[in-house]
Amino acid sequence: MTSVLKGNFTPKKTVDLEPEKKDLETRFENAALKRLGGSIAFVAKKKIKWDADE
Amino acid sequence: MAKILFINPVVREEDVPRHVPYGIALLAAIAMDRGHLVQVYDANAWRRGEDVLRAVLRADDWDVVALGGITTTYNSIKRIVTAARDECPSSLIVLGGGILTSLPREMMTWLPQVDVGVIGEAFETLPEILGMVDAGQPDWTRVAGTVSRSPDGTLVLSPQRALIDDLDGLPYPAWDLFPLEEVYFKNSDVLYSEEGMLATRRLDINASYGCSLICRFCYHLGIAGDMRYETDDKGNVNPAFDKPGTYTRTIRYHSPEYVVTLVKHAYDTYGINFVTFLDENLMTMDQHSGRTWLKEICRLWHEFGLMPTYEYDDNGDIKSWTGVHWSGTSHATLCNPEILKTMRKAGCSHLVYGYESFAPHVMKTIGKGASPASNIRSFFWTLESGIRPIPNQIIGFPNEDFESIRLNMEAWKKLGIVVKPHFATPYPGSEWFTVYRKSILKQYDGDLEAFILDLGDASAISAVISHNFNAIELIGLREMMLKDDTRMIDAYEKIWCENHGIPEGAPATLYTKSDYGHAAE
Ligand code: B12
Repeated sequence: MTSVLKGNFTPKKTVDLEPEKKDLETRFENAALKRLGGSIAFVAKKKIKWDADE
Repeated sequence: MAKILFINPVVREEDVPRHVPYGIALLAAIAMDRGHLVQVYDANAWRRGEDVLRAVLRADDWDVVALGGITTTYNSIKRIVTAARDECPSSLIVLGGGILTSLPREMMTWLPQVDVGVIGEAFETLPEILGMVDAGQPDWTRVAGTVSRSPDGTLVLSPQRALIDDLDGLPYPAWDLFPLEEVYFKNSDVLYSEEGMLATRRLDINASYGCSLICRFCYHLGIAGDMRYETDDKGNVNPAFDKPGTYTRTIRYHSPEYVVTLVKHAYDTYGINFVTFLDENLMTMDQHSGRTWLKEICRLWHEFGLMPTYEYDDNGDIKSWTGVHWSGTSHATLCNPEILKTMRKAGCSHLVYGYESFAPHVMKTIGKGASPASNIRSFFWTLESGIRPIPNQIIGFPNEDFESIRLNMEAWKKLGIVVKPHFATPYPGSEWFTVYRKSILKQYDGDLEAFILDLGDASAISAVISHNFNAIELIGLREMMLKDDTRMIDAYEKIWCENHGIPEGAPATLYTKSDYGHAAE
């Protein structure tokens, strides 16, 4: 495991780099964002704030 | 000895991390040399969230949590100090770097978690703070170059810290404390030249401090002799930077031996094949040294065997090399063909030029000492030497107008320049921040912190200092410039003149010198 801390002594606790967990939805939305424009448009699902009564 | 955790905040989140923070790397090396216990958490390199940050803060009993960066790291720094105070209630939180230096009182107010701020150069200030932590009787007012809180909460600035003379006495940056293999070397490429693009193991070095020139949009972090302490009408002492009529500079550079030995050390230890000089302006140093500094660096580059030798692909193009290519920042009026050729022969691949504008009337208001003619002369000298000039451009200057926009477009076409200009941005510490402060505040409803939070790359718009164009106009004009669409620009000029009541034939500008400091809002 890679430690995120680097130094000249051993700290009391180590903090290891966990593999980054990005789910498919996040991966897709990030990829689409990079190519945004023209016909590439998408719904950021976690950002929907629409109230059903509106 | 003090146990210190350095944290490098996140900067330019939209890109991968590309630069080991040189200042923090030097300070970590100094702290270790003095016998302190040091760990570095490079939040910018790892780009992990709050959980990892908090785990780091809980990993030991830190005497000191120290962080700093450029002004645009404010968002990240605010998050880090909030978590740090929460997780490490008894640690001393120290903030330094350009972010604190230009606005010490504001930063200490917006970030109440910070105990001590280091204003300007920290090479001596930080070790003195650590020494006081060890001694157990801290009185920050006795350490020059700090801002701290008195028991009643008022902010106290200790006397100004003098800049060090003996730069060569500095240790090498503590590169081992940063994730070179895991992160930085993977992001070695720099899209400024063919060699930059092919770089696979790049490190940065900083060989000098200062710039002899006065550019009204520029800030020198208070480490270039650009900072003076002044007392305001209420008796408060504050650092002051460039302002009309008052400009100060101190030019300092490492010896060529230090510079090239450092590069050789990086070559032997890490197998680097590219070095970016972070220096504000290599040519200032060359001129200041009587044209000996760069020549000697180049001579030593050959003597130390750092000159690149190539391996070619089947098309005869460079595939890779042994040795070290390098790049840096030049200046139109300070370079000359001889030194450019010498630099190329020693492996220099590209030089950044702040050409800014090809309109003479705009260049006159920027300072800088350059003109479109000197820009073009240096452009060809650089190309002829075999070095790629990087022609930076900015629009939205105080007297930017339709004429300057057109002059830029014509020059780009003639010179083959492909560029998406920055917007003139009044970063704190620059003359234009000081001069336009009221106007900036007005644009952010009186909330200076909102402006700081908004600052990022100058390729995005924030506060406007143009007298003629507002933010929306500047974005539109830039779009048309990129498309080389003079038709739309001409058509808009007519509408603009009508809107501003400017009669046909009269100069299409609202800028007058007496109006300096009052931008379009
Ligand atoms: C490398 C660099 C970057 C890197 C980031 C560096 C980093 N990791 O933070 C990148 C490439 C991302 C970058 C981007 C930009 N940069 Co820049 N950058 C530099 C550069 C070339 C070198 C910095 C450096 O290492 N200096 C040398 C070291 C020794 O100085 P230092 O780090 O400041 O450290 C000293 C002190 O400040 C202090 N200190 C620093 N950190 C800490 C921490 C602690 C705990 C303490 C106590 C003290 C302390 O102590 C050190 C020793 O005295 C400087 C120019 C220069 N030569 O300084 C410009 C410079 C800092 N950048 C500048 C600018 C304008 C920008 C951009 C806005 C430009 C743009 N394209 O729009 C962008 C912003 C990007 C964004 N979206 O945020 C300005 C000033 C910015 C500011 N207001 O703070 C500078 C000064 C260039 C200039 N003169 O115009 N930059």
